[in-house]
Amino acid sequence: MHFSWKRGLRRGALFVIAPTCVPGAALAQAPRAREAEPTAASEAKPTAPAPAPAAPSLPSEITVRSRAATPGAGASDIRIKVGELSRVPRRRASELLELAPGVYLSNEGGEGHADRIYLRGFDAREGQDLELSVGGVPINESGNFHGNGFADTGFLIPELIQGLRVLEGPFDPRQGNYAVAGSADYQTGLEERGLSAKYSLGSFGTERALLLFGPPGASDATYGAAEIYRTDGYGQNRDAKRARAMGQYEGELGQEGSFRIGVAAYGIEYHSAGVLRQDDVDAGKRGFFDTYDTRQGGNGSRFQLAADLEQRSGGVTFQQQVFVIRRGLRLRENLTGFLLDSQAATQTPHGQRGDLFDLRVDETTYGARGFARTSTRAFGQTHALELGYYARGDDVTSHRQRVDTAGVPYKTDANIDATLGDLGIYAEATLRPVRGLSIKAGARSDLFLFDVFDRCAARSVSRPSPSDPPGDQSCLDQQRFGAHREPEQRSSTASSKLMPRATLTLGPFQDFSYSLSYGVGARSIDPVYVTQDIATPFASVEAMDGGVAYARDFENLNIAARSVFFRTHVDRDLAFSETEGRSVLGGGTTRTGWNGLVRLRGNFFDQNANVSLVRSTFDDTGFLVPYAPDLVVRSDTAFFGDLPFELGGSRVRGSVSAGAGYVGHRALPFGQRSDTIFTLDSAASASWKSFELSLEVTNVLDTRYRAAELNYVSDFRSQPLPSLVPARHFAAGAPREVLLSLGVALGGSP
Amino acid sequence: MLPTAGCVGTTGGELLELEAYAAGPLGAGATGESLRFTTSRGYDVELSMARLFVGGIYLNRSRPTSVSSDTSCTLAGTYVAEALSGLDVDLLSAQPQRFPEVGFATSERALTGEVWLSRGDVNDASDKQPILRVAGLATRADATYPFQGTLSIAQNRVPPATDAALPGAHPLCKQRVVSPIPVELTPSNGAPLLLRIDPRGMFANVEFATLDAAGSPALDAAGSPEPYQFADTTGEDQASDNLYAGMRRSVGVYSFEWMLEGEQE
Repeated sequence: MHFSWKRGLRRGALFVIAPTCVPGAALAQAPRAREAEPTAASEAKPTAPAPAPAAPSLPSEITVRSRAATPGAGASDIRIKVGELSRVPRRRASELLELAPGVYLSNEGGEGHADRIYLRGFDAREGQDLELSVGGVPINESGNFHGNGFADTGFLIPELIQGLRVLEGPFDPRQGNYAVAGSADYQTGLEERGLSAKYSLGSFGTERALLLFGPPGASDATYGAAEIYRTDGYGQNRDAKRARAMGQYEGELGQEGSFRIGVAAYGIEYHSAGVLRQDDVDAGKRGFFDTYDTRQGGNGSRFQLAADLEQRSGGVTFQQQVFVIRRGLRLRENLTGFLLDSQAATQTPHGQRGDLFDLRVDETTYGARGFARTSTRAFGQTHALELGYYARGDDVTSHRQRVDTAGVPYKTDANIDATLGDLGIYAEATLRPVRGLSIKAGARSDLFLFDVFDRCAARSVSRPSPSDPPGDQSCLDQQRFGAHREPEQRSSTASSKLMPRATLTLGPFQDFSYSLSYGVGARSIDPVYVTQDIATPFASVEAMDGGVAYARDFENLNIAARSVFFRTHVDRDLAFSETEGRSVLGGGTTRTGWNGLVRLRGNFFDQNANVSLVRSTFDDTGFLVPYAPDLVVRSDTAFFGDLPFELGGSRVRGSVSAGAGYVGHRALPFGQRSDTIFTLDSAASASWKSFELSLEVTNVLDTRYRAAELNYVSDFRSQPLPSLVPARHFAAGAPREVLLSLGVALGGSP
Repeated sequence: MLPTAGCVGTTGGELLELEAYAAGPLGAGATGESLRFTTSRGYDVELSMARLFVGGIYLNRSRPTSVSSDTSCTLAGTYVAEALSGLDVDLLSAQPQRFPEVGFATSERALTGEVWLSRGDVNDASDKQPILRVAGLATRADATYPFQGTLSIAQNRVPPATDAALPGAHPLCKQRVVSPIPVELTPSNGAPLLLRIDPRGMFANVEFATLDAAGSPALDAAGSPEPYQFADTTGEDQASDNLYAGMRRSVGVYSFEWMLEGEQE
């Protein structure tokens, strides 16, 4: 294979691969490098990147340094370079997670609501069990009342996502809080230099304008992008308006260092259809895409500033990163209709006033992370040591009210200020006793700190003061027999957790590598569960897996494949409570399964396919954990190249792509199974000179499917008396949507 | 592992469709026949009409404690069965009468039954539609009491607040929900649920003579005495109050059972 050095320079990828770096991992960041490559295989076998198209203009000399790559953590450590698979239609950056095996996304909350993520048998909710980050900057929101660890990736512009590192399982000491099912880190960048603009027009009044720019001569890591978007949405009550912007600058720092400063801004206002009862749809009381409550929806914002620097000095690589994030979220959801408004003796007599909750969360996150990595030669092999830390603080305000049908709040059921801390340190040693054997072992210890000020700590009183009854107040200032108390109460606690992690890798032997991994992870507990001085405010996960990976480059074909068996145990799993409107703690669970991944890349095609099978059970009963799919199959395909004709003397490039997903019958509460889901998305594009025209069709077959199916109790007043027995609910999947886009590149390569 | 991973196992339990019926007591005749019985107060009663509107029936997994049932319209435990389509039940017929629409159940054991005597919102105090309609003749010694009554549950049944600090201590829904009815039933596929309602229990403590307090009945056009009326309000007379109380008695009036094969109408 041929490597275009100039091209590599222009793309900002002069690889200064430190001895401690894993070649394969570094390649994952290189342009045209092998993609979704099992790290275990790549650790010992560097491969030259594939050739890239010639650039129209090249600066004479640019020196941009690569970043040290994170060492791999076995066959479950997947480095995905999106590459040509970006042509497969995806409306959200979160959907790129589906390039990793076992990931399925659904969304019953609307455009501005974080996707619900299923991974490796976990119902990770909106990120509570999956540590999500972008370039190391955390996305999970500690202390979010809707779900501790709620992770909204809506601020990410999909065109800027160049790659992901998905690590399924807690096998890397760098993984921190929420890495229960695993972790995913988005890597952003913009390959195309110059200025480009794209306008899209599609079904249901969808319009999108996107601006992208990257200074010629700068690396991929220097870019700017901004987007404005609106849609009426399919069916009822799914409109949205959104704007987002991301920018980053990468510069040099001395002879062997670089720094990056990145910003992101995001705002959205949207409505949501929520869920429907299946029996109401069957009876014709509601249409498939209807809603019960048009007040559902919300808004969200995120403003983020991050900076990092990396320097190599005296054989040691240092990296430091700081970040500050301001996040706002408002959610209005009604999952249960008219069910939860119980009469209290102290209240004025009332009926069910409606379960719509109005949640507002404001959060400021600030933190830093850093590491130092060094290596040494002994016994003819390179050994490495890395020491690192992670420090994060969160100031969170959560306020939730129930709102009646007239739109008037009638009850405050949460008003919490919390200051949370997560300080972790880790050490990891990589030893290679003999050629072909790598032992990577380390440990991480995190101290979770909680200081919770509950502004509504007393919500009921059994013997109120007869002279000063509390009436309909939500947050009371009296206790039994009317004795005074303040409505607020503070509680704090702290606890630490030691988490050993290790990976043993053999190979590659004839392109095959074998790995065994073991790790312990943790998820901090929701602040509402914090009790003064009660320890263990976290859930613990223990995971192990064994896998084999294959990687080989042929002349015009790159193959990467892997097969992994895994087992994960969580001592206190989370389950979503529709009546609580949030995740609540449950019992212990165990997951065993297998997944496989194949990626084939050639000069004119790119194919990624994965399969995941998993069995998730409760420890005490042996029953299945509901909602998580036990079979997920996904395929993404793109064909691209020059078309056999010219237009005006210029060649025309074309592409066609398709993404297909299949999700098996998911286990639902009460012994039920969901329907299967099969969706097919497709796109075609043609580019000529500086113009590109593309047509994307999602749900090509216009399949009417239920993206989420849930069994629980609700009463939407579909009949005179309340329904109190669990029933099937669903969130409708999107029907066929068409999006036509015209892009133009100015002042740089198209 | 591959063969065992996909679609094997269960989350436990089942969601079932539930057919539900209601009927008068065993021993009652076919529709149109009177029901004769003697009350504990020595009245021989010939009940010529008894119809009760049952808005819905529920089964719950738990047995309520006195604390948990204080003011909430529903029980704290999990509901495992419901039939909500409403049925005007002829209590003089032992023949099962089907609730118009199929209900739902889970396959969990129920320990408590509930009968909701409401046509709509259980907290709507303005809904004065009749729930119970009765007519008949009561006799003790030489005294005869032709009677009829139409009872509703609305504002007329809201207990006055006894504690200003607890204005919601006695919500109307507690009047409309007959609970807890002791049961021990586990819903299963294909087993119809039968609610038996025994009107004899409603009259158990009714002192018909107190209906006299309103005065002797007038004669109708044919010269027959017009029937005594049960008052549709609380506190008027013992008989009216006790018929209302009997209608809401959770023991001795209502019972749930699985319907036997061949019992359907």
